[in-house]
Amino acid sequence: MSDTTWSFSQTFSAEFQASRTDLESRVQEAKSTTITADDLQILAVDLAKLNKTLADATGSLPGYDQRQFELQVKAIEKSLQELRPKSKFAFKRKPPGPTTTTTTPTPAATSNIAPPPSTTTPSTNLTLSSHSSQYLTKTALPPASQSSDLSISDLSNCIVNLLDSKFSALHIRNLTDTVLLLPVIQGSILLHDLRRCTVVAGCHQFRMHTSTNVDVYLAIQSAPIIEHCSHIRFSTYPSSLSKEITAHEFSVQDFSHIKSTPSPNWAFIPGLGGGDGKDWPVGGVEDISASLSKLLPDDSRR
Amino acid sequence: MGLLTIIRKNRQKEKEMRILFLGLDNAGKTTILKKLNGEDIASVSPTLGFNISTFLHGHYSLNIWDVGGQRTLRPYWRNYFEQTDALVWVVDSGDRIRMQDCKEELHGLLLEDRLAGASLLVFANKQDLPGSMTDSEIRDALDLHSIKSHHWKIWSCSAVTGENLVEGLDWIVADVAGRLYYSTTASLVV
Repeated sequence: MSDTTWSFSQTFSAEFQASRTDLESRVQEAKSTTITADDLQILAVDLAKLNKTLADATGSLPGYDQRQFELQVKAIEKSLQELRPKSKFAFKRKPPGPTTTTTTPTPAATSNIAPPPSTTTPSTNLTLSSHSSQYLTKTALPPASQSSDLSISDLSNCIVNLLDSKFSALHIRNLTDTVLLLPVIQGSILLHDLRRCTVVAGCHQFRMHTSTNVDVYLAIQSAPIIEHCSHIRFSTYPSSLSKEITAHEFSVQDFSHIKSTPSPNWAFIPGLGGGDGKDWPVGGVEDISASLSKLLPDDSRR
Repeated sequence: MGLLTIIRKNRQKEKEMRILFLGLDNAGKTTILKKLNGEDIASVSPTLGFNISTFLHGHYSLNIWDVGGQRTLRPYWRNYFEQTDALVWVVDSGDRIRMQDCKEELHGLLLEDRLAGASLLVFANKQDLPGSMTDSEIRDALDLHSIKSHHWKIWSCSAVTGENLVEGLDWIVADVAGRLYYSTTASLVV
């Protein structure tokens, strides 16, 4: 071990032992007297600090010392835990009066050591999930104030028309016999487990995994990729659905077939703009199953 | 000036670091690198194989290996482990469905002997998209707290806006530099 590391571990051990004994004696003291929620919180924070300095020093300490220190921290943690239920118990014993200022500090103490201050507000995203035999539009989504990430999952025999919505990215999983009409988005689209589907979409990047028998009408600048897929057909985004985009030709990469021979897993639908002749159900449908049978890839093709 | 000083100075001048960029597909590995290099990010296609980019960062020359994250490519990751100083794990913060997958792949990597000692930077990418998971949610989802074998840190970032990319890189370079400095002195002292 080098001198630098050695002297570091010397100083560290001394400092660590000092703060540990201090903390230990305070915990012992707390055990013999009644402890307030605030005191408990302070102890918990100090313990977290101690734990953090030890974690930071990982790799710069001799292995034996490291393990010993960890055990000591654990021991303090345990005695601190023994203190906690009491305060919780006391809280429950209080008469069920109006919960005002006197009781508010207690919940703060019973909640465990707060995570380091970063963004702690839980994030939410849009989901469209678990429908069958329905015509779905953006009314099926919770109202979003701004364009967001959307997950679409577990649909069967549905037509999804989100052409007039805005998203930043899409994650799609487990669709059967479903038609997706999607706008052109800025971000990427990731698809898993589609069976007999038709997808109309535009995006920056397109990745499709473990899917079979899917027709894809795509507006894209980069190369779309497929992986573990079969019977996939590609064409360009139908010009009837968006006036703004011009259909670009693109090349498809099959990551399951990295060879110079053409991949057997996909093909282009003959003729550019293969989707232009189709009657896309943009205004709703009367009979879902009749409409689906016209739009979905032929089952006999497999 | 003693001989040791000369050797030490010489070695410091030519400091190179090898950094491996890994993560599931669609995480934004290539886009982050292109952004750091000031290249156009609009044309980035899913990576088939790998990209290497070299650039100077402070006193260090960084050799960055960006390996494709598609499932079929993941078995090849092991070919890039040798001599790795730092591992950058890129996460698509909007991909809630695959967080479990992401966690398993990451923890699997950390068991690798050849990556032992490499510093770990987790980039919670795509923070520019509303609806993305926050860095603290990802830290919990990936169970980063259980990692004791590597120095790690999580940075929320956005490859599109460039937010926090340089800061994250600063951290990992400083972390690796601290370690390399120790090993340099150790080899000279012994």
